[in-house]
Amino acid sequence: MSQKPLLQINHLKTSFRIGDEYYAAVDDVSLTVNENEVVAIVGESGCGKSALALSIMKLHQPENTKIEGEIIFNGTNLVPLTIEEMNKFRGKEIGMVFQDPMTALNPLMRVGQQIEEGMKNHLKLSKEEMKKRAIDLLDKVGIPNPERTYYRYPHELSGGMRQRVVIAIAIACEPKLLIADEPTTALDVTIQAQILDLLKDMQKEMQTGIILITHDLGVVAEMADKVAVMYAGEIVEFADVETLFTNPLHPYTRSLFNSLPSAEHVQDRLHVIQGMVPSLKNLPRKGCRFADRIPWVDRSAHEENPEMREVEKGHWVRCTCWQHFDFPDEAEVKSYAIT
Amino acid sequence: MPLLKVENLKVYYPIRSGFFRLVRDYVKAVDGISFEIKEGETYGLVGESGCGKTTTGRTIIGLNKATDGHVYLNTNGDQVDLVKLSRKEFRKYRQDIQMIFQDPYSSLNIKKRVRDIIAEPLRNFEKLTPEEEEQRVIDALEKVGLGPDSMYKYPHQFSGGQRQRIGIARALVINPKLIIADEPVSALDVSVQAQVLNFMKDIQKEFNLSYLFISHDLGVVRHMCDRIGIMYKGRLVEEGTAEDIFENPQHLYTKRLLSAIPNINPKKRYENQRLREQINREFVEKSREFFDEEGRIYDLKPISSTHSVAIP
Repeated sequence: MSQKPLLQINHLKTSFRIGDEYYAAVDDVSLTVNENEVVAIVGESGCGKSALALSIMKLHQPENTKIEGEIIFNGTNLVPLTIEEMNKFRGKEIGMVFQDPMTALNPLMRVGQQIEEGMKNHLKLSKEEMKKRAIDLLDKVGIPNPERTYYRYPHELSGGMRQRVVIAIAIACEPKLLIADEPTTALDVTIQAQILDLLKDMQKEMQTGIILITHDLGVVAEMADKVAVMYAGEIVEFADVETLFTNPLHPYTRSLFNSLPSAEHVQDRLHVIQGMVPSLKNLPRKGCRFADRIPWVDRSAHEENPEMREVEKGHWVRCTCWQHFDFPDEAEVKSYAIT
Repeated sequence: MPLLKVENLKVYYPIRSGFFRLVRDYVKAVDGISFEIKEGETYGLVGESGCGKTTTGRTIIGLNKATDGHVYLNTNGDQVDLVKLSRKEFRKYRQDIQMIFQDPYSSLNIKKRVRDIIAEPLRNFEKLTPEEEEQRVIDALEKVGLGPDSMYKYPHQFSGGQRQRIGIARALVINPKLIIADEPVSALDVSVQAQVLNFMKDIQKEFNLSYLFISHDLGVVRHMCDRIGIMYKGRLVEEGTAEDIFENPQHLYTKRLLSAIPNINPKKRYENQRLREQINREFVEKSREFFDEEGRIYDLKPISSTHSVAIP
C-alpha cells in the first residue's frame, strides 16, 4: 500500500456563529489520509464528525462559519480558496456520498442527467460519450438494466438503488478522495452489506482514498484501514483498525464498545455512558472533555491540557485518563448519576 | 394461555384502477402469519423494510384493519378476538396494549407539555381528579428516570434518549400488559440506545410486561428478545428462540440476514465478504424454492419443539 499523503488536515478549527460569538465544532483536528486508504471517523451525533467532512468540501454557509487551519489536498491548501476555485475540486478531485439518498438526489431530474452533471463541468466529453459513461457507471454500481434506469426519476427507485446512484454520481469523475458521510445509515442490513462491499470493490479498483464517517462500529470493522474516534470536536484516539478493535484505550472508545449490543454473544446489560454529548455552547474548552461523563475517575487522572500521545507505534490517545480508567459496577455508576 | 395469539392474520390493500376504480388486485402486506406472545416475554419481529412487520404491529393495536384472521387477547382468562370488535368495543381493550414509536422527534406533540402528553391516555380511559392525575404522571416519570420538574417542560427541551423515555412513560401510565415497540431505538445513538434498552428490560421485569419488538437491527434483537420471527414478503419464514435463530438458522433468507450484519472483528473482514457473496449467490439461485406453485411462501413447519421453518 502506498503511503503518499493525499489529504493532510493540520490544526483544523471550524467554528459556527451562535448569536455574536463563534463556537468551535471541530477543534484543532489533525488527520492524514493516504492514497488508497480508508480512514473512518467514529463518534456519537454532535461530536463534530459531519462538520469535519463538510469543512473539507467547504459546504458550510460562509457567512456563519469560520474555518481556520490547513486542509492540504495534493499540495493545495483548500481553506483560502474562493467558491469558484473550490468548484474545480468538488466532484472532480473530491467526491461525496451523502447520508440520505432521498434528499441528496434532485427529485425533478432524471437519474442519468444527475450523473452527467458533474461530467459536464469537469470533463470535456460529447453528449454520447457522457451518456455511455453514465450507463457504464450505473452498471458498475450494480444497478440492473442501466439503460432503463438512466431515464428513471429517483422516486422510481428503492432506497438501496438510490444510494447506488448517489455513489455513481460521487465517482463519476474518478475522484482521488471520497468522503462518505454515513453512507449506509438509512438502509437495511442486507442493502448495507451490498453497499459496503460495493464501496470496498470500487476503492480497490480505483485506488481512491476514503473518509468514512459513521457511528456504527460494525461498519468500521468491515471497511476501515485506520480509525479516528471523535468526541466533542476533538480526535481522542487514532489507530489502525486492528489495534483499535483489539486494544481500545481511551475511555470514550471503550464505552462505545461496551454499549454495543452484539449478535454474537449475549450480555444481560449494556454499558450506558453517563450524561450526553455537550452542546456546542456548553462544550468544556479546558481539560479533558470526556471527564464529566466518567465522574468516578479521579480528577487528577486527567491532564490540564490533554494532548495526543503515541502510546505504541501508530496508536495515538488523548489525555492520560485512560491509564486510570475502569468500568465501575452499576451501583457505583448510579451514585455518580448526572441529572 | 398466551397473552396474545395472532392467527392467520392477513392485511391486504386493494389496488384500484381504470373504470369506476375497480379493484384489480391486492397488495398482500401481511399474508397469513401466526404467532403467540406469552406473559413477560419479548417476541421479536425482524425483516427488511417493506416486509410487513410494522403493518403487523399496527394491526394488532387496531391502527390498521385486518382483512382476515384473528388476534386473540387474553384478558383475565377470557380470549377476545380484537379483529371482530367494533371501534367502540375495542376501546375497552385498548389500554391493555400500548405502543412505543420509532422516532422520538415526531411522536411527541411539540405544542404540549410533558404532563399533558403523558396524561392523555389517562384522560381517555380513567376519570381522575387533577391531583390524582398529577400523581400518576409523576409516578410514570419516575419509572422512566425523569424528575417531577420535567412535567412542565416541552419535548424540545429534552435529548433524544429522554424523549424516547417520555414516549415510554406515556405507554406505561395506564399499566398495559403488552407494549408494541416499533423500532424503538433505531433513531438513537449507541450510548442512548443502550440506556433505553436497559431501561426497557428493567420495567419488563418489574411489571411483567410483554413486548412485541419490531426491528431490523439484529444485534438489538438478540439482546432483547426471547423468541424471534423472521418476516419476508408478508410471511414468516422462520420462527424460534433467539438461540435457534442465531446459532442454527435454517432458512436461506435468515442466513442471508445474519451474514449481512457487519462483524465487529476486522480480521474476519474478507472471510465475511466471501461468505456473504456465497450466500447471496445461493439465495438468488434458490429463491424460487421458497415459494409454492401459487407464488406464496410455504407455511411454517416445526423442526424442533421451539423452532419452525418455511420449507416445502
